[in-house]
Amino acid sequence: MSLTKKQYIMLFLLALIILIIALWQPHALIYGIQRGSLYALIALPLALVLGILGVLNLAHGEFLTVGLYLSYMLYERFNLDPLLSIIPVVIILSLIGAGIYLLTIKHVLKDGHLNQLLLTFGVSLILIEIINIIWTSRPRNVFTSYSYSSMSIGNFSFGTYEFLYFFMAIAVLILLQLFLKKTRLGQATFAVGQNPRGAKIVGINVSYVYLFVFTLAVAILGLVGAVMLPRTAIFPAVGSPFSLKSFALAAMAGLGNMNGILIAGIGLGIGEAVIKSIPGAGGWADIVFFGVLIAVIIARSYREGN
Amino acid sequence: MLEINNLDVSYDKIQVIWDLSLKISNNEAVGIFGPNGSGKSTLIKAIMGLVSAGSGEVIYNGESITDFETHNITKKGIALVPQRRELFPLMSVKENLRLGAAYIPKARKRIEENLQSIYQIFPILKEREKQLAGTMSGGQQRMLAVGRALMSNPKLLILDEPSIGLQPSLVTDLFKKLNEIKKQDVSVLLAEQNVRQGLKVIDRGYVLENGKIAFADNAEKLSNNEHIQKTYLGL
Repeated sequence: MSLTKKQYIMLFLLALIILIIALWQPHALIYGIQRGSLYALIALPLALVLGILGVLNLAHGEFLTVGLYLSYMLYERFNLDPLLSIIPVVIILSLIGAGIYLLTIKHVLKDGHLNQLLLTFGVSLILIEIINIIWTSRPRNVFTSYSYSSMSIGNFSFGTYEFLYFFMAIAVLILLQLFLKKTRLGQATFAVGQNPRGAKIVGINVSYVYLFVFTLAVAILGLVGAVMLPRTAIFPAVGSPFSLKSFALAAMAGLGNMNGILIAGIGLGIGEAVIKSIPGAGGWADIVFFGVLIAVIIARSYREGN
Repeated sequence: MLEINNLDVSYDKIQVIWDLSLKISNNEAVGIFGPNGSGKSTLIKAIMGLVSAGSGEVIYNGESITDFETHNITKKGIALVPQRRELFPLMSVKENLRLGAAYIPKARKRIEENLQSIYQIFPILKEREKQLAGTMSGGQQRMLAVGRALMSNPKLLILDEPSIGLQPSLVTDLFKKLNEIKKQDVSVLLAEQNVRQGLKVIDRGYVLENGKIAFADNAEKLSNNEHIQKTYLGL
């Protein structure tokens, strides 16, 4: 990928800020990278659906929740290690996602955004209630031998498991870009994202591409859910905050900018961790998170307005 | 090869095409002329499955394609150059052209070959093959849209007002290219407001007024027709 001069300056500034935080608050830096990568990992599939189908899926976080519970169920019933449950969880969740897409979202693609938002909001409530009925609202945990693996440098020690999110985010990012550039289905997806009518005209089955993209997005959430489970206490609304945070990242990066999502995710993750590490300021984390988002969007609309 | 029988098309409750029938034979170039709002674009959208027909049928090589989806119609060998071009702005000229063939099984095997013959008709596309489609001028985008349609090795090429928004010299140029394309074993359906230029390309034409065929004749007779001379040629 090629970077513009402006992007180099941005990356340099980011590196500088990271260096300062590394010296001042090393825990916040590491926790922020881990957390931020997770945000980006969850935001990427949301951005994909938003970019190609033009639908903001408010049930995005709930699909993650379902993935977490599926992994939990496999652990509880069959004692299957969460990391080994990745494949079955991805398959089952993909089928659930495709089914829900065909039953609901497919029918409002031509409608206005308001209808789509209401519909996906309804789907999210239904998913939460179904989970509530099956598993109750009691928080549940899975402990594995590796959940709390840690590493020390001198007398500074930190958890290592969640670095997986960082590597997964990079892997998903690279694979998605290769898919869009190099495969026939990926090129069709990219074409549909740019001009659905043009895509139909060249012989692309647009409804099939939509179904595929939605299913792929849900499949990625299944992967993330299974990997998150060892470090996450789950309850029916555990995934809900991720819908809005994912949308925040996608909006901040700008539509279609997948690299930007990882950078924005890590940036906001570190910012959040720094604030949480200041005694008594923890409650400000989300305020700052969405405050930064609002500032970026306003700044961008001014720049584009000129 | 294409036969339209008693076609009605409506948007919501407003009927745009009324009981329309027409025919295109193999290797024939047929024009559809008419003023703005006469139903030319709607007729073409109905053939391509972009709007659905209220009643009547579209038959292509003996098979009814009335209810086919657009992508399947393209696969049958009908290619459209839409009025709004409908290119992929974030892709290069070459990528746009390749996509024209990539999803048509027969054309896919001949991508390189087709690219070369299209570069021969439109050298400007070869020059600009790495440029992003969205950054090209309107005239170049029109050429690209024609090129992309030809990449699928169509048996029937449909053009929806290709002259719209082009400066006169480019229109003349484009219609010269169409005359070249016509020689290559392909039927052409051309919807145009620019009757003067259109008559140079077509063998036979229909004049559409208020969604109905007002009259039909061969190109020579149409250009001598008094009504056409008055209304469309300003003579």
